[in-house]
Amino acid sequence: MVKLSIAKILQIALKAGRVTRKYPSEQPLLTPEFRGAIRIDPTKCWGCGACVRVCPPNALTLTPKDKVATLEYFVGRCIFCGMCAEVCPANAITVTKEFELSSTSIEDLKSGVVHRLVRCSSCGELIWTEAELRATVKSSPISEEYITLCPKCRKLKFGKAAMLGRGGSSE
Amino acid sequence: MSNLAKALKAIRKSIWVYHLNSGSCNACDIEVLDALTPYFDVERFGVKLVGSPRHADVILLTGPITRESLPKVVRAIRAMPRPRLILALGSCGVGGGIWWDSYSTTGGFKKLEDILRENGVEIDRVVYVPGCPVRPEAIIYGILLLLGAVEQKSKRVEVYASES
Ligand code: SF4
Ligand code: SF4
Ligand code: SF4
Repeated sequence: MVKLSIAKILQIALKAGRVTRKYPSEQPLLTPEFRGAIRIDPTKCWGCGACVRVCPPNALTLTPKDKVATLEYFVGRCIFCGMCAEVCPANAITVTKEFELSSTSIEDLKSGVVHRLVRCSSCGELIWTEAELRATVKSSPISEEYITLCPKCRKLKFGKAAMLGRGGSSE
Repeated sequence: MSNLAKALKAIRKSIWVYHLNSGSCNACDIEVLDALTPYFDVERFGVKLVGSPRHADVILLTGPITRESLPKVVRAIRAMPRPRLILALGSCGVGGGIWWDSYSTTGGFKKLEDILRENGVEIDRVVYVPGCPVRPEAIIYGILLLLGAVEQKSKRVEVYASES
């Protein structure tokens, strides 16, 4: 090992100057590429579950319960990959630069978006979320008469209508 | 003032940490070392790395606690003097990360806590620090939160998807 004299050490130290970052009183060193926690915009999210399927550690879960389905984000398991933001059809997810997420309780690391579910107007089965229904009506020309039906009732209704030679209309 | 609050006040300016790797991918460990370099200089807060859990106030726990490491982790935590403070680092330490439901890991600190309780080892305080890997700044923030020097920002929120 090379032994340095005090004079030499002082010389090196003076040349290097102060390198210590004064976090938390100073801003943290965040690069443009840094990915932190995600934020789900409740005004945009449909509750489609695409992000849930793609999330590698299952940090996002969509659980139906009674008449609502909750999209829950558990930041304590998130690996900050950003895949959910990439796959979201509604562009509801943004990757923020938030990293000061520490918490003394695990419950505080969870957050949720609650979606109301829609019932099939014929058989009464819960089919999809209100937000997804609105988004679908907006983006595709599906007939108003079929929109509130579950896939099974829709098939049945369309079959009946086709047999009567009336195309998409009922009665 | 409770015993814990007294103890926390006593160690406020000299926190000795012990780094315990329970099967992490090493990225979190690199970040722990990064936090100890002069660049982030945690000795500003009196944080010092020690070589034995018997000397430690805080354990920096990284990794998802693999089955292989579980008995050693329990022994190391049992060896700590009270108050036992733990910083669960990374998504692995907090919630098991991408290995949360694997047969070969315990799946995060929550489940380890139950195992510790069964074995009669009490934990006085734990701070969960998410990140994959955790930033050195996030570790510093976690330590400050453990000591009560900063406010907690995370809070459970549940909102209804809006009508518009
Ligand atoms: S709309 Fe986006 S955020 Fe909402 S459930 Fe679908 S993928 Fe996830
Ligand atoms: S950033 Fe990755 S890990 Fe985190 S919620 Fe999105 S998909 Fe899941
Ligand atoms: S949290 Fe991420 S970086 Fe840290 S040990 Fe686990 S996989 Fe590795």
